[in-house]
Order: sequence, then structure tokens, then C-alpha cells
Amino acid sequence: MHTHDVVVVGAGLAGMRAAIAAHEAGVDVALVTKIHPVRSHSGAAQGGINAALGNETEDSTDNHTFDTVKGSDYLGDQDAIEILCGDAPGEIIQLEHWGAVFSRHETTGKIAQRPFGGAGFPRTCYAADLTGLVILHTLYTVCVKYEIPCYEEYFVTELITDDDGACCGVVAYDMVHGTIETIGAKAVVLATGGAGRVYAPSTNAHASTGDGMSLALRAGVPLKDMEFMQFHPTTLSPSGVLVTEGARGEGGILLNNQGERFMSKYAPNKLELASRDVVSRSEATEILEGRGVNGCVMLDLRHLGKEKIMERLPQIRELAMAFAGVDPIEAPIPIRPGAHYHMGGVHVDSWGAAPHMSGLFAAGECACVSVHGANRLGGNSLLEAVVFGARTGDAAARFVHDGNGNAGAAKPEHALEYEKKLRGLLERTQGTPQHEIRDPLADMMQEKVGVFRNGDDLNAARKVVDDLKEKVPTMVISDKGRTFNQSLIHAIETGFLVDLADCMVEGAIARTESRGAHSRTDFPERDDEKWMKHSLSYLEDGKVRLDYSEVTMTKFEPQVRTY
Amino acid sequence: MPQTTFDIFRYQPDFADESYRQSYALDHEPELTILDAVLRLQNEQDGTLAVRYSCRSAICGSCACRVNGKTVLACMTQVEDVKKEFGSDTVQVDPIGNFAPIKDLVVDMDPFWEKFKSVKPFLVPDGPAPEKERIVSKEAMQKIYNESKCILCAACYSECNSFAADEEFVGPAAFVWGYRFAGDERDGQRKARAKLYSGQHGVWDCTRCMYCNERCPKGVDPRDAIEKLGGIAFNEGISWADSGARHAKAFLISVRTGGKLNETLLVPFTAPIQSQMDMPFALRMLRKGKAPSPIPHRVKKRSEVNKLMKNVKETI
Ligand SMILES: Cc1cc2nc3c(=O)[nH]c(=O)nc-3n(C[C@H](O)[C@H](O)[C@H](O)COP(=O)(O)OP(=O)(O)OC[C@H]3O[C@@H](n4cnc5c(N)ncnc54)[C@H](O)[C@@H]3O)c2cc1C
Ligand code: SF4
Ligand code: SF4
Repeated sequence: MHTHDVVVVGAGLAGMRAAIAAHEAGVDVALVTKIHPVRSHSGAAQGGINAALGNETEDSTDNHTFDTVKGSDYLGDQDAIEILCGDAPGEIIQLEHWGAVFSRHETTGKIAQRPFGGAGFPRTCYAADLTGLVILHTLYTVCVKYEIPCYEEYFVTELITDDDGACCGVVAYDMVHGTIETIGAKAVVLATGGAGRVYAPSTNAHASTGDGMSLALRAGVPLKDMEFMQFHPTTLSPSGVLVTEGARGEGGILLNNQGERFMSKYAPNKLELASRDVVSRSEATEILEGRGVNGCVMLDLRHLGKEKIMERLPQIRELAMAFAGVDPIEAPIPIRPGAHYHMGGVHVDSWGAAPHMSGLFAAGECACVSVHGANRLGGNSLLEAVVFGARTGDAAARFVHDGNGNAGAAKPEHALEYEKKLRGLLERTQGTPQHEIRDPLADMMQEKVGVFRNGDDLNAARKVVDDLKEKVPTMVISDKGRTFNQSLIHAIETGFLVDLADCMVEGAIARTESRGAHSRTDFPERDDEKWMKHSLSYLEDGKVRLDYSEVTMTKFEPQVRTY
Repeated sequence: MPQTTFDIFRYQPDFADESYRQSYALDHEPELTILDAVLRLQNEQDGTLAVRYSCRSAICGSCACRVNGKTVLACMTQVEDVKKEFGSDTVQVDPIGNFAPIKDLVVDMDPFWEKFKSVKPFLVPDGPAPEKERIVSKEAMQKIYNESKCILCAACYSECNSFAADEEFVGPAAFVWGYRFAGDERDGQRKARAKLYSGQHGVWDCTRCMYCNERCPKGVDPRDAIEKLGGIAFNEGISWADSGARHAKAFLISVRTGGKLNETLLVPFTAPIQSQMDMPFALRMLRKGKAPSPIPHRVKKRSEVNKLMKNVKETI
């Protein structure tokens, strides 16, 4: 058994940034991650990270705040958004000081910035189209420098709580050695990333199964705003591999089967650079009304020319060629909306602390502060991961310094108990294989809880989720070994995905309005009177119970959102 | 619908001490990557199969493996392309070379991460940081852009000749990261790095077999980074006291890796930096290494190599 002051579950941008902050604050912190840190899905982020540096044109954190509030369809908490945008320049500069290879401005040598969807100014810092990779690597190199211990390929399966209900550690499966371990901690930070794999297609990695959210939910902590899943307007078919918004930021245009630049109908001012929910809905409408091409519309980059494509979007070209067989220098890329970013997550405050459980913190995509509200702006989630990663690491360290936490309550027996549960699962020979739950769930979510939703579809979705939920306890694992048992991991993840789908569907059924990414054809208007509130999902006796909490407003009164 | 037989390397440490091979037949759509094929087999035929993977879009670096002997990223490689290239409906899938298997396609990457860490892969700037970002010209940043693309997939170690011969050889990706920092104008440790990378098992132990450049799925060109590090070492005046020992070692490596004695290979190892005059020559030689070198005198069997090695050891 191991013990640390702070245990960070997840080593993407949020997890590593939190660990670095905690380390700098002088506590003993360790990372625990199911895949090696540099494999984390943050590395797939292409487009960039927002900060009002004003390196291209005048800009201010107030502008950034306003764009984010508007982008969130007024569901974001404005005090938290002020922190996000206010801390942004400092965090970017910190990353630069640690060595991040940001692309540079042609003449000034400052960090270059590009336009991005939903933003009034070119505000997105980038490293060609490898922004996430470069930042992930930068943080990893800092963790190496600080010699922060890292439990690599440890899959966290449960949170441990003490008699008072405070979080005091985790149980994890050491995949390489095949053992179950208890890791005690005074504070646990969840930074397990997104839950995009609830859907298919998804731009998310196979590892983005929302584990941390489900761990918290099962431990009695509510999840916030689960009905808000963002669909990215440009994903490759059939794989769901992402084409960055940077492609439109650099001037890419969207065409239907008539060769018409259809965004001029839906967002006459911002066109392709309207907010993501708007562009995804426009595409879905074109496709539904028969103006698509094999279920897709076309993203045309040809007019940018070879040189610009090679310099600014080299990875996009590589991906389009490898995964869609198209060279964007020569032909438009067929694309469609796909599940991309989950605005919801573990309900935490603006220090990343979970108000419902002492000792538990969360940051990054698995958390919901909320800064993205009903719709996240491109370039704001890498930012959230570093800004709130840092704050949460600080807060967890402070929690420890203040004498809180009860790491001693985590005992080897916790691992042994889990081991017993696993043995039941491993010994079972008859039942449902995990993919017979996971695949139908993901397809159904896309079909019935997708870009457009309605009451009938959502009720049908609820029924499917209920059926699949019943199958979860009967899952059968074909690998009976201990070492690197992926069959086991997939089964545990599938259980998590079903929990999360349950919350998403219930939240979506209840929310009888359209706001941001949640678009109901039977309730097409935003209803501030009734629905200007966050939803909270609790899991009680295997059922989701909904509750609601206030949205914090500071400067900006809700307006109608046009682009 | 195409049908493919996958002939996969199996190592199941919980059930058997020895590795073995297993064949699986799969009917599939024409568009299928090697990774998706393995994942389908895992779901539909054999849940005990193990493979590292995550992003499935060639960026997380998890899924390097050997397909028909050639190291690739499984997620980026189309099954039908492989079949066409090799003219066969059977596709062999193996773990990357030069690392010990943990289970099936999953190998022990610890030595790789140790090497990565050994090059001090973090920025060590001179002096305190300015209030804002450091000013760096676009061109200067561009210089290390290629190295920044490295996804740490270890494909470059899989067929590296020097690493096969000397497990302590620091190796291609680690030197990519070495250059990524030594070539970063914000870093203040250029000379110290050049020294660090030029020691035993360092940049001069590369045999220039060029496999790393050929196999890197991201076009990072590790051998070029090694060459650039050699240039930095030269410019920083790092010299070798033990050039004779080096010559012997180079000789050993070339024997062990190919059972061959390639004279051209020995030159840059032993005389790269003896005098300024030699440098262009050494560099030329290095560049020449890009072309596959004629292989004089290759021996066929391992036992023959061992014998040759014994002789070599006794004579030096
Ligand atoms: C293709 C793509 C492109 C994107 N582009 C952009 C962009 O340009 N700009 C932007 O701002 N945002 C972008 N995003 C969103 C952004 O990348 C993510 O929201 C952000 O990186 C999430 O970071 P994270 O640290 O929260 O999670 P991740 O980076 O996903 O890390 C999750 C970590 O948790 C660990 N983990 C998970 N479950 C467990 C478990 N059970 N036990 C132990 N460890 C566990 C994993 O091993 C991993 O280390 C993009 C997203 C995608 C999918
Ligand atoms: S060129 Fe050098 S580093 Fe590259 S594979 Fe060959 S021996 Fe290894
Ligand atoms: S240099 Fe290329 S092959 Fe080697 S680890 Fe980096 S990306 Fe992979």
C-alpha cells in the first residue's frame, strides 16, 4: 500500500498541472494514470489555447470573458469565467517559460494568435496544429524535472472514503503487475478527462470513458450539467477523427452538395466561425434536408494553398489523407458533427473542491466548475485544464497544509475487498460481453441524444439505458489472467459509461428548453425563467435523481445569442 | 468483403512461459486499420489479446508495433495496404523490437522512458524569466519544430542497429529530445548537453543505419537530430580523448549488428572531430549514410557472429 499527501488521478493537462502546483506548494504529490502521461488525450488537441495576450490585435480579458459567457449560452458561472480569462495570460506565459514551443508572430517574435470560433479577436495561441501535444509534453518534462512520482498504467477503480464520508484515497488495478492496490491520500484530485466515448462516433480517445465522473457519482458526489455534450462540426467519417477548428480559423469554408456556402444562411456575420453548437446544427440541418453528401458536408481548404496548409495545418493534412483518403490541398474533406467535448462533470467550486465531499477535488474535462456552461468555445478547454488544474493543485495542497485529510483511513483491506468483487467478475463464465453493452449504447446516444433531441427520442433512450443497465452486472470477461487484462478494464469502463449515459439522458429529458449544445426540437427556445440553472445528478439506489443549483451572474445580462 | 488472416505474436505470462503465434481470420470492410482489426479480434474472438492504444489518430504514440516485420503505428496502417504491399492475405503483427514483451503486443517501455529522462528533457534557461513570454523569432522556433512533433512512440528503437547491439545506447528518440532542448535558443545548457550526449553510448555510437528516419511515423528524422547534436558538440569544442577505444567499440558494434566490417562506418566514429579539417568530411560521411551502404561480408548465423566477436575482442 502507498500513501501520499495528494493523489492526482489522471495525467493529462489538468492532472499534471495540478500535480506541479501541489509539488511547488511543498506537499508530497503523486500521479496515478491508466495510460502513460504522454498518451493522455490532451495531446490530441490541435487547434489552440485561448488567452487575451493581445499579440495580434488589441484584446482584453473582459472581451474574453464576454465571449465565453455568450458562448456558454449564459449557463457558465461568470465569477469562474472571470478567473479562467483573468488567469489565462499568466498560465500561457508560464507554459512558455517552461519551454512550450508556441508558434511565433512573424515580426514581433511574441506568441502568435489565430482566430477561433465564437471569439471576437484572434486570441488562440497555438503550436502549428499540435498545441495539445506540445503543452502535454511541456508539463511532462516539468514533472520529470521535479521527479513527481507517477503510477503509470494504474487503473483507478474506486474512491475510498472514511467514516465521515471524506475522501481518503483510491483503489487501483496495477495493470502490469496484475495486482489491486490501495493508495491512501489526504486529498484526491480527479483529472480523468472527458466522456466522449459515451457516443459513437466521437473525436475522443478510446480512453475517454469518463471514469472520474463515475467514480465520484458512485461515491455519492453529484455531477453537474450532464446533458450538455458538444458536437464538433468537423469530424472525419467514419472514424470520428477530428479536423481542428483551426482549419476554419485559417479560412476553411463549409459547402453543401450544391456547392453553396451554407453558413451564410445560419450565421451571416461569423459564418464558419460561429459558435460550435450553431455550426453543428447548421450542418445537421443541411444533411437532414438532403443537401449533404453521404451523411456529410464538405470542408474546403483548397483556396488556402499548399504552402499555408503545409505550414499551419500539416497534421490535418496527414490525418485527412490517412483516415479519409483525401488530400485537402486537392479536394474538399467530407466531415460531419461528432461528439467532442463534455461540458458536464464532477460538481466543484472555483477551487476545484467538491462541496459534497471533503478531500475530493476535480479539474479539467472531468470537472464542471462551470466555465463552459451549455457550450464550450474552442481553445477554452485546454485553458480550463491548465488554469483550474493549477488552482486545484494549489487548493489541494492548502487543504493538506491546513491539517485536513485522513490518509490513514485507507487500508489494504480496501484493495482486498475490491479484489473479492473482481474475483466474482473474473470467475463468471456466462453473461454479456462488454462490447454488446458499449456499442449499442454509443450508437443509441448518437441517434437519440445527438445534435437535435426531442421528448420521444429521449424517452426511447431512457428505455435503452435501463435495459443495458440491467446487463451490466452480468458482464462476462473472457480474459481470466491478471496481467494487462484489458477485457477487465473495458468491462469496468463500460459500467462507467452506462452510469454517465443515464445522467445525460435524465438531464436532457428534464431540461425542456434549447440552450447551447442541448437543442430540443420540441422546445426550441431558451427559457431563462425556468432553466437558467445547473442540473445536478445524484445516483441513489441505482437511479438518477436530479436537483438544480444557481448560475452565478456578475457583469453580463443574458442576451439573445446571434453570430 | 475482404478476408484477412492475422498471424499475431502471443505472450501470455499468466498461462505460459514461452511465446507463440496465433492466427485469426477476419471478414472486414475494406477500410480497416491494423489497430481496429486487433480491437475487433479482442472483442469478437479473443479477449485475452493485449495491445496498447488510445487516441486512434496517430498522436498518442501508444500503438507502435511491427506489421510484417516493419515498424508502424497500428492505427495509421490500413490492412488492405499491407496486403497489397506484401502480396499476401496474411498479415503478421508483432510487438516492436528490442523491448521485452509484457503481454502480446505490449512491451516493457521502462528502458525507453529511462533513456528519455537521461537526456535531461526539460528547459534549463539562463537567468530569471522575463515578465512576459521570451521573444523568439519564428525561424528560431521553427528550428526545433520537427523534433517537437515526436510522439514518443519508440518506433525508432524497434529496428535501431546500435540499440540492438548495445542496450545502453541512448538512442534516437531520446536524442530527438536532446536536440529539442539543445537547439532551443531559450535553453542555457547547450555545452553541458553536448557533453552529456557525447559520452559513452551517446551520439557517436549511432551506426547511421537510418532505420529511425525510415520508420518514424511522424517524419521527425531522429538521425538528423543526432547529426545536429554532433554538429553542436563540434561547435562547442567537445573532443574525445579516447578515440582509440571508440574505434574498437564502433568495430564491435558493426560486427554485432550485421556481422560485417564496414570501413566507411568507422571513420565518423573515430575521427569526427580530430581537427576542424576533418569535420566536413565526417559530415559528408554522415550524410552519405542516408543511402543504404553496400554491405561487405555479411555473416548469416548468430554463432558465426559470436565467433567473430570473440576474435575481435581478443585482438583489441
Ligand atoms: C481531438 C480533440 C481536439 C481538441 N482540441 C482542442 C483545442 O484545440 N483546444 C482546446 O482548448 N481543447 C481542445 N480539446 C479538448 C481538450 O483537449 C480536453 O478537454 C482536455 O485536453 C482535457 O484534458 P484533461 O487533462 O482533463 O484530460 P485528458 O488529457 O483526457 O487526461 C485524462 C487522464 O486521466 C487518466 N485516467 C482516466 N481514467 C482513469 C482511471 N480510471 N484511472 C487512472 N487514470 C485515469 C488518463 O490516463 C489520462 O492521463 C480537444 C479534444 C479532442 C478530443
Ligand atoms: S541511424 Fe543511428 S539512431 Fe537511427 S536507427 Fe540507426 S543506429 Fe539507431
Ligand atoms: S522520433 Fe519518431 S519514431 Fe521515434 S519516438 Fe519520436 S515519433 Fe516515434
